[in-house]
Amino acid sequence: MFFEHIKRNGRSMRKDNGVYFSSIIISIVAFYVILSLGDQDVLRYLKTIESDAVSKLLALIPVLYVFSLFLLFFLVYFTNRYQMQRRSHEFGMYLMLGMKRTTLFSMIMGETLWNCFIALLAGIPLAVILTELIGLLTSRLIGFGIIGHEFSVSWTGVAATICGTLAVQLAAVFILSIKTAIKQPFYLLQEREVKAQKLPTVRSGRVSLIFGIILLASAYFAGVTLMRMIELIFIIFPSVLILGVIGTCLLFRGLGSIIGVSVRRRSADAAGLSVFTARQLQENVMHQWGSLAVSSLLILMAIICFVYGISGSYSRNSSEARTVDFTIRGEKEKIESMLSETDGIGQLISSQYEMKIGMLDSDISWHTLIEKLSQKEGSQARDSLIRDFSDRGRMYVISLSSYNALLDSIGEPTIELNLDEAAMFSHSVFAYTHEVLSDILSSGQRFIFGEKEFSLKTELYTSNVVADRSITLAYALIVPDEFFDKYAHDSSNNGYYNMMLSQDIVDNKGLMQAMNDVSEILSEKGFEFESYLASMGRQLFYMVAGSYTTFYLGIMFLIIANTVLGVKFLMQQQTTKHRYAVASAIGAGTSELERSGRSQIRWYFGLTILVALISSVFGLWSLIGSFMLSLSSLGVNIFHIVAIMIGAAAFFIAFEMVYIKVICRKSDSLIRKLSDIG
Amino acid sequence: MTGYEKLLEVREIHKVYGDGQISTKALNSITFDVLRGEFLGIMGASGSGKTTLLNCIATMIRPTSGSISLNGRNITSFKGTDLARYRGKKIGYLFQEFELLDNLTAGENISLPLSIHGESAAIRKERLKKLTRQLDIEDILDKFPSQLSGGQKQRVAAARALICSPDIVLADEPTGALDTKNSKVLMEKLSSINQDDGASILMVTHDANAASFCSRILFLQDGAIFNELRKMSPEEDRSSFYERILSVMALLGGGSANVL
Ligand SMILES: Nc1ncnc2c1ncn2[C@@H]1O[C@H](COP(=O)(O)OP(=O)(O)OP(=O)(O)O)[C@@H](O)[C@H]1O
Ligand SMILES: [Mg+2]
Repeated sequence: MFFEHIKRNGRSMRKDNGVYFSSIIISIVAFYVILSLGDQDVLRYLKTIESDAVSKLLALIPVLYVFSLFLLFFLVYFTNRYQMQRRSHEFGMYLMLGMKRTTLFSMIMGETLWNCFIALLAGIPLAVILTELIGLLTSRLIGFGIIGHEFSVSWTGVAATICGTLAVQLAAVFILSIKTAIKQPFYLLQEREVKAQKLPTVRSGRVSLIFGIILLASAYFAGVTLMRMIELIFIIFPSVLILGVIGTCLLFRGLGSIIGVSVRRRSADAAGLSVFTARQLQENVMHQWGSLAVSSLLILMAIICFVYGISGSYSRNSSEARTVDFTIRGEKEKIESMLSETDGIGQLISSQYEMKIGMLDSDISWHTLIEKLSQKEGSQARDSLIRDFSDRGRMYVISLSSYNALLDSIGEPTIELNLDEAAMFSHSVFAYTHEVLSDILSSGQRFIFGEKEFSLKTELYTSNVVADRSITLAYALIVPDEFFDKYAHDSSNNGYYNMMLSQDIVDNKGLMQAMNDVSEILSEKGFEFESYLASMGRQLFYMVAGSYTTFYLGIMFLIIANTVLGVKFLMQQQTTKHRYAVASAIGAGTSELERSGRSQIRWYFGLTILVALISSVFGLWSLIGSFMLSLSSLGVNIFHIVAIMIGAAAFFIAFEMVYIKVICRKSDSLIRKLSDIG
Repeated sequence: MTGYEKLLEVREIHKVYGDGQISTKALNSITFDVLRGEFLGIMGASGSGKTTLLNCIATMIRPTSGSISLNGRNITSFKGTDLARYRGKKIGYLFQEFELLDNLTAGENISLPLSIHGESAAIRKERLKKLTRQLDIEDILDKFPSQLSGGQKQRVAAARALICSPDIVLADEPTGALDTKNSKVLMEKLSSINQDDGASILMVTHDANAASFCSRILFLQDGAIFNELRKMSPEEDRSSFYERILSVMALLGGGSANVL
């Protein structure tokens, strides 16, 4: 009997609060997806080549999880608090009818458990299917041979999801039901009344609004202008955050009274239900400014997550070009003998050469170059170039024949150098200086070494010299072999040996698979080597890590924000539903009332989203200008960025439209039920 | 002013709630007319079907059978826009619990029906002015319902019911939530609007005092009309009418609960 009762109440809660209930299911799915990340094929593969970074990421996941549980807690707490207030009359009746407090308490907890159970029953299989699809998709994109794909369920993920969801729900409802169960029945019975409309204190509202706008504007200003001062970032960044958060809260606090003022001004010539609509909206905003502000901030965070995640993973993806597949370190003879074995790696390889890199044994003077640089207009790139060349006496040098072999292997024209010439090389990691540097070089530069003057080629070379990513030569000179042999000082007797896979093999097996095969042979033979695979793996890792975590957070933020908004709105509508009945009794048609409800919803969401969008424009602007996203250094095409932004915006708009539509539907059905005549 | 023109014709109204064994017969073949300019009262014991009757006329519920015509048009068949236009514009409804929208000011509450029915701002202003003067609520138009007394609330609600100059005002125990003094003020205002402007009013009440303002009273018992009282105007004064009402109420079997 008791259980039947619980089941029936649970069912009616799910029906009344469909939006909230579906959000719980979506969160369960999101939880599992992020928690099972460690068991995903890509990550399992990446662990073999990037174990440090992967374990750092995996260590981060519990933090993310706990953080999102924390967010979920608030959603559950506030939704259920409202729910309990609405049902408090019912609870009071139970007590008056002789139900024991403990029974009431366990009834409420039982309902929660039952609903949680149903949400998990729906959510976990959905989540498993979704991770399965993601897994299939990634292994398809990367190549089945490397990653392979097998159906797997992360049991720890399932367990953690269940525990987290249950814990959050039970904790929230526990607190609430204790509060309810200890109340005297009389007070429970009384609580049914809707809060009376508070007198809109126009003045305090206006003050809030003005202060809110001032604080927000100064946060925007500080973000865009002051955050560039990297030295002060630890003071400025938190201040911008605090200003922004307080400003947003004050803005929403004041918004309600402004709506009130504008209603008053226009109510004389308002048509249809517009006064009613505006007053309803005003009440919603005034009673729930806190939720609106929090939702707006969450949406802002979601937007920033999306844009940052997409552009971050995109730009890393494009940063390193493939110039060398393998670099082996070791004695020349051993390597050459290995390569000449008949059944060995030799056939898999299209080119092989020694990459000779050394350091000059005395200093170079960069006077004229630095002078030229100082004449250029000030920029971050110029300053760092001046700094770099001022204290760069001893340069790394690369022998011309090696570099030409490299250029040849990737099908680029080789360089020709006279004895008094050299060419400038710089690693692609330092791409943010390359524009300035190329510009300087193109006018023809000279340097002095050992009392002799050398001229530099007008072109800058950036093709990476080894597959080993631990070796990033910021700036080096490509010099004729005679010069190299004479002045360069080889730091070790172990040279670098570069190899490029033959195109046939790559076409046949796919790049990653082919590299995997060769790597296996090399490590079998005991060579010390680095491959482009690691570099690709790293890119893949950043893509996976970047997109997973930021998307996860973004989605969580969006879900929570929208659910808070939607649920709050619907609950307020539910508590004030008699107003719709009255409006219908004095002549408002059902369709008019539905329209009023929908336009309230659009304004309600619209205001929140609008503030978030405005803040996000400034937020992204200041991030781009400061330490986090430096577009030029990433060498990202601005059109790609714009395209990405449009894509993200489209996703965001679609998401919001769906959500708003769902809420509108709910509101329509509530209104239709009210104005049905029996 | 009070011609003998039939405004509302109620014919053979039946209303059965629910179905099968648990059905309740709330109205059992009720027939009567309301003349233009009449102030008609409806009295009866609790559960006798007064609210049901009023709600049928107000199109809040549909009668099981029978017809109700206002100005010769059968309103039981109205749907959609016709229905919405009928509510508020052709009839005004005055609720026992006022039912003001508590997030709108008094003034906004009163003019809401006008804006719903798309009246121009000029007309609205003019009518608002006249009605609020008649009901003595000119000073409280900018207040919210929570800041008003019960009597003020009910007068605001009355203004809202009257603002569209409806053919008839339906009132379900409008004084039910008011004390004696406020009841009297409200009834005097309604009565004077009835006499000066010729507004037709159909009022359900338990209160013999309030009923004594009516020009005619129908008594319901078990869903049927049991008796009818008519004020012998103008010669009969209110107190003697009141005495007659009390005696009929005493006549109503076991109606002691309704005798104050
Ligand atoms: N929605 C409903 N469903 C079922 N039965 C109803 C409903 N509303 C009223 N009734 C029944 O119809 C009958 C008449 O009810 P009604 O509300 O019209 O009485 P009333 O005369 O207004 O009473 P009161 O003076 O107490 O307001 C009663 O027996 C009541 O139980
Ligand atoms: Mg009644």
